[in-house]
Amino acid sequence: MLSAFDPDIFIKVLINLILITAAIIILKRDIVSLVSTYVIQSFFLAMLALLLYVEERNIMLIYIALLTIASKVIIIPRFMNHIQKKLNIKRDIEYHYLTPKQSIIICVVIIMAVYVFLSRILAELALDKTVFFGATVGVSLTFMGMVAIFSRKQTITDIIGYLTMENGVLLFSLFLIKLPLIIEVLIIVDVIILTLLATMLAFGIDSTIEEFHTKLHPFKNGNVRPKQYNTAKARIYRRPAEVE
Amino acid sequence: MNALFIIYGILNVAFVLAVSPLFMSIIKKVKAYTQGRKGPPLFQTYYGLLKLLKKEVIYSRNSSWIMRTTPYVNIAVMAVAALFVPLIFIPEPSSDIGNIILFLYLMALAKFFMALSGLDAGSTFGGMGSSREMTISAMAEPITIGVFASIAFVLKTLNLHEMFLNILKSNVIFADPVLVLASISIFIILIVETARIPVDNPETHLELTMVHEAMILEQSGRNLFLMEWSHAIKQLLFMGILINILFPWGMITAATFSASGLITSAIIFLIKATALSVIVGLFEASCAKSRFFRLPDLLILAFFFSLLTIIIEVFA
Repeated sequence: MLSAFDPDIFIKVLINLILITAAIIILKRDIVSLVSTYVIQSFFLAMLALLLYVEERNIMLIYIALLTIASKVIIIPRFMNHIQKKLNIKRDIEYHYLTPKQSIIICVVIIMAVYVFLSRILAELALDKTVFFGATVGVSLTFMGMVAIFSRKQTITDIIGYLTMENGVLLFSLFLIKLPLIIEVLIIVDVIILTLLATMLAFGIDSTIEEFHTKLHPFKNGNVRPKQYNTAKARIYRRPAEVE
Repeated sequence: MNALFIIYGILNVAFVLAVSPLFMSIIKKVKAYTQGRKGPPLFQTYYGLLKLLKKEVIYSRNSSWIMRTTPYVNIAVMAVAALFVPLIFIPEPSSDIGNIILFLYLMALAKFFMALSGLDAGSTFGGMGSSREMTISAMAEPITIGVFASIAFVLKTLNLHEMFLNILKSNVIFADPVLVLASISIFIILIVETARIPVDNPETHLELTMVHEAMILEQSGRNLFLMEWSHAIKQLLFMGILINILFPWGMITAATFSASGLITSAIIFLIKATALSVIVGLFEASCAKSRFFRLPDLLILAFFFSLLTIIIEVFA
């Protein structure tokens, strides 16, 4: 009834699934599911590399898949979850500039623009449709990660946005520009180190950059009073109401 | 319209009417398991419906003919809509039966009468439910139309029968990979239209949360039976669309029509629909009822994917 296994179709399905995970990363608010969405996205990328190996028989693709699984499905998420537990931030519910709904609309515009621009640039190469689709989604994913970075307030979500951007670069390179393995390895090492550094910074910053600013400048904006004083004052003001 | 189409009509509607309550129970059962309970027996929805059928109907003194006709309008509309979504056997596409726009209008008609009946008895809860339902519909309807438009665009037809036939004929799994995106949108529409959790809570009669339940609160006896039944049918129809867009395999066509084929395809459909019910149940168990004003978040996701479907289909 069904025809034989066709890797090309599954590659397209996986690219679509990666787009879905990117949209979820932009919309989701709790950090645990953001991290697991990132894990799923990276897993799809690894599967994509394996399927491309079936088509192209390039052994490097298998190494990329293995590296992706080791670093992005196992090491980085573990670290992120660890930090998330320590920071005890469960949700990211505040946004800069754009609400998730607006971000999603912006993403549609971005994807369309990427399609238009890439079709101009890549027209001479006369590429296969799947390659063109994969490259477009790769670039779009990079921009979607960027949207996540500048629309989210929590530092830990910004890191996930950054990791999504990196996934976009990997997707683009899988289809269009085959980088040497050594560079792929270096990129992944970079990503791991950067995640480590960024999460450590996030630990210092504690939650958002804005709060960190006030912490850094305790004497600015008349922010001299210690916290206890404020709460005590609040208690004094509340008391008469309770008596009534 | 040939004889085979008439056989299709009778078979499909009978099948839909018969099995639709089963999936309500399966979803409840899955939810119960995730919460560590045993849950109701698989045929509980049937027992519940039978019990309702035996009870007498009570009308409020303030109610008009709308209260009396709504259950019959609902079940009639759903039975007609059942002709549009082939579940076990796809006939040769015939005239306008299967037209997707007509299908959506039928759904809107049923919803319109349900909202009116909520207002009709003059109870506060009913009015509240109707008002909420109409607010959700105002948000969901454009998205629903957009989603189905994107599917029609990808499959190059407005006829549901022809859509499923096209996918079936392509003979490859995921005939058009873009449909993966569209199916997510349909899943969200399924959740919104059948009043499931993030949008509405089907298990409570708490005035703060109920939407669908509030509208049918004044219905009783066999009228309530008809309302509940038509709700189950509506759910099965949307599930049928989702299943057939992704995995229509196992269904027989006019060319391969046979009695044994019908039975196997019915069994295959039951398996597929059970799997989807489990997914719906797990999805429901995994999220909490969201605030009313956060609903656009869910719908915008459906909108995003339907728009992407069109963009990818045009460019790639």
